[in-house]
Amino acid sequence: MDYFRSGLKSVLGAQPPDQQITGAETVERLVSRVSTSTLLEDRRDACRALKALSKKYRVEVGAHSMDVLKQVLELDRSDCEIIGYCLDTLCNITSKEPFDDENESPLALNVNIGEQFTEMFIKNTENVTLVLSFLEEYDFRVRWPAVKLLTSLLANKPKEIQDIILVSPLGVSKLMDLLSESREVIRNDALLLLINLTKSNANIQKIVAFENAFDRLFEVITEEGLTEGGIVVEDCLILMLNLLKNNTSNINFFKEGSYIQKIAPMLILPENIEEVGWSPQKVSNMHCVLQLVRTLVSPNNPVQIITACQKGLRNASLLEALCNILMASGVPADILTETINTVGEIIRGNLTNQEYFANVMAPSNPPRPAIVVLLMSMVNEKQPFQLRCAVLYCFECFVYKNEIGQGQIIQTLLPSSLGTSDITTGQLLCGGLFSNDSLSNWFAAVAISHCLIDNPAQKEQLLRVMIATNLGAQAVGLLHQSMMHLQQGNRLQSKIGILMLLAMWLAQCQQAVQVFLNIPGAMAFLTAQTSASECDNNEELLQGICALIMGLCVVFNDNSVQNYSKENLSQLIEKRVGLETYCKKLSEISRHEVYAKAAKQPQILAKHSSELLLEFEFCKFFKTFEGVIINALGVQRDLQNGISELSLSEHENALLLQYKELIRDQDKKLHDLQKALTNSQREKEMLKNELDELRQTNSQLNDQNTLLKAQLATNTTSNHIDNNFSGTQIVPPSAPLLQNNENHEELNNLKKELIDKTEELERLRKDQENLLELLTDQDCKLNVFKNRLREFGEVIEDEDSDVGSNSENEV
Amino acid sequence: MSYAYLFKYIIIGDTGVGKSCLLLQFTDKRFQPVHDLTIGVEFGARMITIDSKQIKLQIWDTAGQEAFRSITRSYYRGAAGALLVYDITRRETFNHLTTWLDDARQHSNSNMVIMLIGNKSDLESRREVKKEEGEAFAREHGLVFMETSAKTAANVEEAFINTAKEIYEKIQEGVFDINNEANGIKIGPQHSPTNPSLPGATGSSGSQGGGCC
Ligand SMILES: Nc1nc2c(ncn2[C@@H]2O[C@H](COP(=O)(O)OP(=O)(O)O)[C@@H](O)[C@H]2O)c(=O)[nH]1
Ligand SMILES: [Mg+2]
Repeated sequence: MDYFRSGLKSVLGAQPPDQQITGAETVERLVSRVSTSTLLEDRRDACRALKALSKKYRVEVGAHSMDVLKQVLELDRSDCEIIGYCLDTLCNITSKEPFDDENESPLALNVNIGEQFTEMFIKNTENVTLVLSFLEEYDFRVRWPAVKLLTSLLANKPKEIQDIILVSPLGVSKLMDLLSESREVIRNDALLLLINLTKSNANIQKIVAFENAFDRLFEVITEEGLTEGGIVVEDCLILMLNLLKNNTSNINFFKEGSYIQKIAPMLILPENIEEVGWSPQKVSNMHCVLQLVRTLVSPNNPVQIITACQKGLRNASLLEALCNILMASGVPADILTETINTVGEIIRGNLTNQEYFANVMAPSNPPRPAIVVLLMSMVNEKQPFQLRCAVLYCFECFVYKNEIGQGQIIQTLLPSSLGTSDITTGQLLCGGLFSNDSLSNWFAAVAISHCLIDNPAQKEQLLRVMIATNLGAQAVGLLHQSMMHLQQGNRLQSKIGILMLLAMWLAQCQQAVQVFLNIPGAMAFLTAQTSASECDNNEELLQGICALIMGLCVVFNDNSVQNYSKENLSQLIEKRVGLETYCKKLSEISRHEVYAKAAKQPQILAKHSSELLLEFEFCKFFKTFEGVIINALGVQRDLQNGISELSLSEHENALLLQYKELIRDQDKKLHDLQKALTNSQREKEMLKNELDELRQTNSQLNDQNTLLKAQLATNTTSNHIDNNFSGTQIVPPSAPLLQNNENHEELNNLKKELIDKTEELERLRKDQENLLELLTDQDCKLNVFKNRLREFGEVIEDEDSDVGSNSENEV
Repeated sequence: MSYAYLFKYIIIGDTGVGKSCLLLQFTDKRFQPVHDLTIGVEFGARMITIDSKQIKLQIWDTAGQEAFRSITRSYYRGAAGALLVYDITRRETFNHLTTWLDDARQHSNSNMVIMLIGNKSDLESRREVKKEEGEAFAREHGLVFMETSAKTAANVEEAFINTAKEIYEKIQEGVFDINNEANGIKIGPQHSPTNPSLPGATGSSGSQGGGCC
């Protein structure tokens, strides 16, 4: 406090106490002092004062001091104190967030001041390079604010700052060096800066990795106590995630650099985990570690990368550690869920890992395979929805491209193995398929269908599965029972699940088609659904899949069932449903929004259980067979009508040629038109871009305009106040007000009010003066005491000058 | 997986001279005639043996275009070796060597080993730059020189391995400060005191060739 008064006095010269100084004026004087003073001390004091004002009078400081601050950064760089003030000031005026005590300019509300000042500052990219160079200064007063300023600039203009740093010599290197900082505040802030800097910029991500980021980060993580560590560990992991996500080159580097081994210790649960429990921070850290592992083996990566990483994860015993977590007790549900997803992606399509997983045993009594224990959760209504989805995904990953695994699962469904005493996967899946919980039906149906993908042998095996009906009557086949369930049930999710299973079962398996066609009422059911006209509540999906199955019965038909030969069936479709309707129904599937969602990624992603209708592999399956079916139906029809070029008369042949010519012409026209369209579209695109650019320029100009207005407004307001104080005359804000007679009265009132207020102000000012005097008195006394203390040999530190950010009130 | 030393390399030179093909030939032992244009930088790795010591090479293949030049510069400082490549069938790529060399010298550490490579030696009939010219340039600027073909694999192994030998010798002579990672050299994990690994962890046997397994 003391500083500010004396500081300002020394900077601005002594002020007669009754002369009012506005913020804007103060700023202007300080700025001129910085730029003209030849004494470093003077400049330093002025910069310190500017820093103190830069929150409350952000607009004024930003508008007037930018140039002198840059000048100081260049010319006074040997003085750490003044550089520190400058960087702090710049940091304040470019801050994205408004300050609590910031003077609000009404016009500035819809303008992001921080962004505007950032734009002004970085317009000359050298300024950013200059700030980067201050990272090399070891002094805390410089290095820390430099990091903070870069963070602030980056928050406002991420793309621009990324581009500038990318091309500044050793820009990224300088930032990376900060990760080895011994002063934790700086290191931690640098970490946050790097997280923002590496977001969606592959080039920066690669340079950061090249600069040994993974070594540094693992060092920090180890120092901080691995997953037991604080938020710094989480930040390190988030930065690693940024570097790896969708960055094949870096994933390759990570794998080749043997960093996978360094993840391993983080996945080992301590012996006493059940006693110490899971702190929220540990849960967050663990989540990041799991994400990190998944990034390496994400199904979106190129296959060789996935395979290599899967191998690396197994060799580093990470798969083992994760399976241990899977079977440990007391693991929070969301960690467990993510662990299941992670294990899934590590084994997906990798035979060795799949075999390893098949042999993992749960420590239950009696010991059961982990798969069985997981499936028990999947068909258990009481388990969390996300966990059940994860189990299905993990199961799918287990049978993905795994002919042996598929066979093993189907085997447990067959009569011979049903006699064993303990629960099997087969029992769980069958139980789930026909339980009262429609979600369990859906999960089980999808799980079984995945055991049939590209595996005709298992499709035939599955025909052997018999289900004992509750009446104690004769057992029926699984296919038959599924059909009955379909006809009796009324829950859409359950029905769609079973229909997807049927479709994937019948495709490429004539034997299954034959069994299916022999089920009484099966065809009637499909025909009724396919030809139904009303469709609400996603019924169109149901009808679409029924149509699909009808089509599959045509394509994979060996003509062994009477009345349902290829020809019979295609006639049925044409006469009862109509080809046009049929095709429309079929296409409903891929037009549905759940199709687009499911086809995006293998993982089952849904917020709510009712969203689960279609599924990734089924979508792929549909894409393959839709065309096949439509072709087959077309060919059938041609044969029926007897049209074939051989059997045509000469006249008809001539006609045909004519038509062909016509079609060829039309084709050419179509092609030309398409070309023209593409050109027009491209042109349109260009014009649009141009328009966008113009719009942008326009809005920038608008913003600048607003900013200038804001500055003007603050300047004029201060002028008003000055005028008010200097005399009785009032300068009206705008002339039209006075033209109105009614306003006159109001004006008079205001005048009176003003006189009152002026008096009040006068009084307050007197009070303040008295107080100031008192304060000066106290100061003198304080100095006397200080001196005395000094004489006694006491060391006294000067009060931090930072304290009085709003102390200008006292002036 | 364990190695005695790790060297970081970069490959530089005009676009189209065959940098990406050289890397692919070295890491995967194959030639891909139609290669995607390198955007920014791509990574590759392989283990080699020198003096019966396992040495891991980490290689960054850069994009030659002017637009990426400043990005490429970020990689000079931390590299121990650089392969500077031109195309013997295109003289202008040879003419640009000085620009590349100046850039490299300016931004790298002074000990970086630079290997000059005249690539596409299989296209003898279209040769525009004589082998002697390459040799002369290398002598003048203190570089090691070699002609290679990423297509037939001629001299490709040698180019990468000879560069490594040169670095290795510099280490033996004590020229390189191996404790400063900024030089692009790391000592293998088994040489450092701590080696945190799981109790049951089995490092996979030293696999040759990265990328595709
Ligand atoms: N005949 C021949 N062609 C090559 C050789 N190396 C590269 N190429 C071809 O040169 C072109 C550019 O190669 P690329 O590796 O992409 O060059 P980069 O831009 O330097 O990475 C490709 O069409 C390659 O097929 C070589 O040794 N012999
Ligand atoms: Mg390339």
